[in-house]
Amino acid sequence: MSLLSTLMPAAERIEQWPLAAAIAESRYAFPIIEGIHLIGLSVSVGLIFLTDLRLMGLLFRHVPVNDVLRHLRPYVLTGFALVFISGGLLGLAEASALLQSPAFPFKMLFLLLAGINALYFELRIAKRAPVIENHPVLPRSVKYAGAASLGLWTLVIVFGRLIPYLPNWG
Amino acid sequence: MNTQEILTAIQTSPIAHAVSKSNHLVGAILQIVHVLGIILLLAALVLLSLRLAGLTFAKQSVRDVGRDSLRLMRIGIVLALVSGVLMFIAAPQLYWKNEAFQIKMVLFVLAIIVQAVFVRRVANQDAPSAGFARFSATLSLVLWFGVGLSGRVIGFL
Repeated sequence: MSLLSTLMPAAERIEQWPLAAAIAESRYAFPIIEGIHLIGLSVSVGLIFLTDLRLMGLLFRHVPVNDVLRHLRPYVLTGFALVFISGGLLGLAEASALLQSPAFPFKMLFLLLAGINALYFELRIAKRAPVIENHPVLPRSVKYAGAASLGLWTLVIVFGRLIPYLPNWG
Repeated sequence: MNTQEILTAIQTSPIAHAVSKSNHLVGAILQIVHVLGIILLLAALVLLSLRLAGLTFAKQSVRDVGRDSLRLMRIGIVLALVSGVLMFIAAPQLYWKNEAFQIKMVLFVLAIIVQAVFVRRVANQDAPSAGFARFSATLSLVLWFGVGLSGRVIGFL
């Protein structure tokens, strides 16, 4: 694993940054930031799950898709702000452990795919007339985008939780 | 039978052996199911609270939004409870002494009572009184988020 040995010194330097070291050494900082990460996730990814179930026609069928998207967006984005800030801090504090964990790059990969799916949905599918005009029957692509989002975000959570469980590379 | 004997009995039970002696990925899978259940439960509660506060889906009645929210909360609670009980059975002595676990259990029992007595009642009305709705939602949010936070601390003590 030559890539690993190339990146390792950088990860170790990051861990020595005062902020990173302070988090790693504090008895309470790490678990509290982990807690904020979980709460941010339940607001952002959690509300996305509910949106996905609506797109798939499984829940909240009496609420127009367009209303679900519009009403929940500010809370989803606020949740993501919490997730990214807390996740970034945790990442600084244990940079070398993340680098060694095979689960972490998979988490990032599925995060990227989930983001691309969300962008495509917001910029293309959600802009189609039947969605904007709240037609009772929506294009199939709406349902597929919801299912893809549900699956990809689930994988992000699964691989995130696996980080401390999978054996290291090499 | 005192507490210690009960904990030992649980720890030496066949189910405990099955969970703790299995591949450590079984433990990881339980953790994943647990966290997915909690995320589902918290998200459904956030949505219901937003509706009760009149911030989302104001055109739909509380009862309509409440029905699906309560169903999702129930699914989340069942997922978290089943996986949580299995994790506890595998290492009861460890969890019982853990202060974060003790706090989590107190908050969990209170959250379940608030769910049964207040949240369910308020979510089954077309237009509950604003004060009662706000009281139930706030109490429930504080307790369930407390359950999530204290749970996250268990592994660090």
